Amino acid sequence: MIRGKVVGQVWGTRVDARLRGATLLLVAAEDAAGAPTGEVVVARDQLDARRGDSVLVAFGSGARNAILPGAAANRGVLAEAAVVEIVDGADA
Amino acid sequence: MFLARVVGQVWATAKWPELEGLRFLLVRPYDLADLRKGPAASPSPDAAVVVADVLGAGPGEDVIVAYGHAARVGVEPDLAPGEKPHRPIDAAVVGIVDRWDVEPAARKRST
Repeated sequence: MIRGKVVGQVWGTRVDARLRGATLLLVAAEDAAGAPTGEVVVARDQLDARRGDSVLVAFGSGARNAILPGAAANRGVLAEAAVVEIVDGADA
Repeated sequence: MFLARVVGQVWATAKWPELEGLRFLLVRPYDLADLRKGPAASPSPDAAVVVADVLGAGPGEDVIVAYGHAARVGVEPDLAPGEKPHRPIDAAVVGIVDRWDVEPAARKRST
């Protein structure tokens, strides 16, 4: 997973049918000190994260579990990255 | 997933049969500095990724690219529940972007 800051959002009408209606956020990855690394990922969001929020993003099957928990059910879920937590605080 | 601009296409005749019917695009990922410049900006040319496409994205369009399992699912629009995707790819276009929005970096006031 990575920690990052929500910097924007993406919209499209010609998207895979399994992504329709999904909120797609632009999340700028941060290093251990909280500084942006420059990398930006697109993550599905079901937690209603807002611009400026610090979030945790999970990848791979972790992201699919965030959208639809349960490995058997979610193999067809189209999510490679998903917001799994809106961060309140962190040490170090 | 990441946001990228389509800059070209890749062709091949010798390939795995499981790749038949897929187009391959060359895309450049946007980094934070690119996005801060606003929608008129182009991604910096220091990185490129080859991605499969079944949505029909064209040069100059912005796309959302997924890696890994999501990419293999993405190129199978008619995947049955429980069916495993089988194509030997690990990156694919899953959406063509109409609009994206990132706030520009705060400018320092000149005094």
